[in-house]
Amino acid sequence: MSEHKEDTVAFGFREVGADEKKGLVREVFSSVASRYDLMNDLMSAGVHRLWKDAFVDWLNPQPGMAILDVAGGTGDIAFRMAKRARAKGGAAAITICDINLAMLKAGVKRPEASDSSITWVCGDAENLPVETGSQDAYTIAFGIRNTTHLDQVLSEAYRVLKPGGRFLCLEFSKVAAPGLDRLYDVYSFAVLPRLGEMVAGDGAAYRYLAESIRRFPSQTAFAKMIVKAGFSQVKFRNLSGGIAAMHSGWKI
Amino acid sequence: MDVDPKLLEILVCPLTKTTLIYDRERQELISKKAALAYPIRDGIPVMLPDEARALSESEQR
Repeated sequence: MSEHKEDTVAFGFREVGADEKKGLVREVFSSVASRYDLMNDLMSAGVHRLWKDAFVDWLNPQPGMAILDVAGGTGDIAFRMAKRARAKGGAAAITICDINLAMLKAGVKRPEASDSSITWVCGDAENLPVETGSQDAYTIAFGIRNTTHLDQVLSEAYRVLKPGGRFLCLEFSKVAAPGLDRLYDVYSFAVLPRLGEMVAGDGAAYRYLAESIRRFPSQTAFAKMIVKAGFSQVKFRNLSGGIAAMHSGWKI
Repeated sequence: MDVDPKLLEILVCPLTKTTLIYDRERQELISKKAALAYPIRDGIPVMLPDEARALSESEQR
């Protein structure tokens, strides 16, 4: 697992060809799309909602802001941002971009999707179909872990942002609190796949989820990658003892 | 279902990052530079080269 060949990437704990990962991740999310939101609630006992609220708080969306929400799947982040901007007196322009059409279709069906400030597009975070320098903010929540080439995703994020634009990422991270790490291991490798089997009918998909979380770089390692992509003032904040973390950076 | 004009304003070809032509009849977004037509499914543009149709020679003119 520690050995990395040039042409392979991590898919959970397996090494797969770089070309193969995209298809495998697509299968995982296509298979769970219709029950994804329910699963998130069960898996995190509703805590994912608090994390997402904290994430949107940190962005502080304003009316008129152009926001690209990548891997935005079923709309959880975008709906919150749209609501927040409207509470401040106007609509933001939010584009949800996800590589998985099944996830987008599940999102379009939700009642909040009727908000006219939200548009939907199927696209790849590594090759975004979005104009250079067009966005005030780029958000990605629980998505970047599933991409194949992190550096390419970050460089695309940088490209689509306007000067002065902001990158904000929410992702599972490395548990910092002592004792919590072992408990979390038991939960994610013993409980989570079984829960996935029962609710979404796909234990393997949720085993992938647990494994991919462990493979993702630590808070500081990921922050370094964001800096390397060109961003300034890179900061992170832990959530729930580091089970999740938010990273922020600015294109100056 | 028509694509939202606000979305069309910011969309480019993911390969060439150049502007697209909206073919409303066929529900496609055409990248002349990449010689690809990206499908629009249920109003959602699918901007993935693997899902796109290669333009014929006459279409590329």
